[in-house]
Amino acid sequence: MAGASKLVVDRVTCRFGETLALSEASLEVGAGEFVSIVGPSGCGKSTLFNVVSGLLSPTSGRVSIDGRDITGSTGHVGYMFQKDLLVPWRTVVGNIVLGAALTRGVTDRDLAEARELGTRYGLGGFLDHYPHALSGGMRQRVALMRTLAMHEDVLLLDEPFGALDSQTRLEMQRWLLEVWGELERTVLFVTHDVDEAVFLADRVAVMTPRPGRFAAEIPVPIPRPRDLSTLTDPAFVERKRSVLDLLYGAAA
Amino acid sequence: MRSRAVRLLVPVIGILAVFALWDLLVRAFDVRPSTVPPPGDVLRAIADDRDVLSDRTRTTLTEAVVGFTLGSAIGFVLAVLMSRWPLVRRLLYPVLIASQAIPPPAMAAPLVIVLGFGLAPKIAVIALWVFFPVVVNVLDGLASVDRDLLNLARIMNGRRLRVFALIELPATLTPLFSALKLGAAYSVTGAVIGEALASLTPGLGNYLGIKNSQLDTDAVYAAVLLLTAIGLGGFLLMSLLERLATPWRTRTRARRWPRPSRTSPSAVEVSEDVSVGDRGGDR
Repeated sequence: MAGASKLVVDRVTCRFGETLALSEASLEVGAGEFVSIVGPSGCGKSTLFNVVSGLLSPTSGRVSIDGRDITGSTGHVGYMFQKDLLVPWRTVVGNIVLGAALTRGVTDRDLAEARELGTRYGLGGFLDHYPHALSGGMRQRVALMRTLAMHEDVLLLDEPFGALDSQTRLEMQRWLLEVWGELERTVLFVTHDVDEAVFLADRVAVMTPRPGRFAAEIPVPIPRPRDLSTLTDPAFVERKRSVLDLLYGAAA
Repeated sequence: MRSRAVRLLVPVIGILAVFALWDLLVRAFDVRPSTVPPPGDVLRAIADDRDVLSDRTRTTLTEAVVGFTLGSAIGFVLAVLMSRWPLVRRLLYPVLIASQAIPPPAMAAPLVIVLGFGLAPKIAVIALWVFFPVVVNVLDGLASVDRDLLNLARIMNGRRLRVFALIELPATLTPLFSALKLGAAYSVTGAVIGEALASLTPGLGNYLGIKNSQLDTDAVYAAVLLLTAIGLGGFLLMSLLERLATPWRTRTRARRWPRPSRTSPSAVEVSEDVSVGDRGGDR
């Protein structure tokens, strides 16, 4: 792990009535690190993200960024959902600056930055389009630009490509790595797709269900930039196997 | 541009066709003019009595516009309050539904007793009729906002008023305009029902009633035609406003208004947008 911890999830427990959704889940993420989280359905990934984003206060435990306790408070992370959640009546640029629009008001600088971001990352001809005119992949690009434009160091990406077809998904994964490589944000990436988890991450954290907690971490020391050839690299296949073993037992 | 002109022309042709068919049927079956007069006679009746009719039309139009505006505004505010506070919703919903169970003609009489013989009771009838679809549709629109989008707004630390103005309010526009288009038609009906009562400010409904009792069929049809025109005009106006208020439903890209702070590349895009803008709407 490079440098001091950016994000620390410290023994977070979440109980909903009888159900224990998270049990002392702990995770440390270094500045600029890309960590994928995989786990079976119901392992509490969404609950974990809700806690880190501040939407949900945990029953116990704490979350901190740069050593500052942010447990139960919002406005400290960028969050991207599987649904693009673009606002239909705002243009691409209007959606990218949504964070500013909902807080302090949009300035000319925000607009210029949104145009610059959009142009740099493949939305150039569509800046003034309404979302309905865009494809699923394009819409997710806008959603990520909106997340980036909030200027938070830590990004939570909750299965952002889960609804895309596999070809678009691969294209988006490579694009995400390009964006991440240039903008140096800390990323927590939830996915069901083991290939995707290993391909993108510096480290894959595997969760177990009911109660959700982190069972193991698999480092992925495959050099970057990674590309299609990475997917057939023996080092990649080996890490993938380790993750699959942890998820489904050694018999897989 | 040509396809746009054709699109606007087709409905006009439809209306003219109705007149032509009307004329044709009256002549073909030799219908007595005192039963159904041909359209030419009706238009002549409008022209002959234009002074009285323009005064009556103005009265009915005033009632319809004021009643419609008042009813819509009240409906909208009620919906917002009801969506914000569930207690208000539970308190008001039965009352609102009860208000719709009263037949408007039955409501008109007590309103005259309370509000007198002027415009007020007619406006009240219209407003009472128009506000209900607005309440229901605006509530639907507010409830249609994705919970996750509101969660995202919270994660962004969005301010409550801004979230309301930028995310919740625009979601009500499409259902709101559906209600307003209905309301435009309802308000004419409401006006006629209101005017069926004694009145010091006669409108087209009073005119219709008087001419009917005088067996002046041409004049009766003249009033009906003018009432239809008001309803149709209101509907068209609401459709036009809807297009302007919800450009994302019909356009691919936004109109960009030139802003002084922008640099030259944007200016190029603005001029380009003017030429392609209208066709973008045809998608």
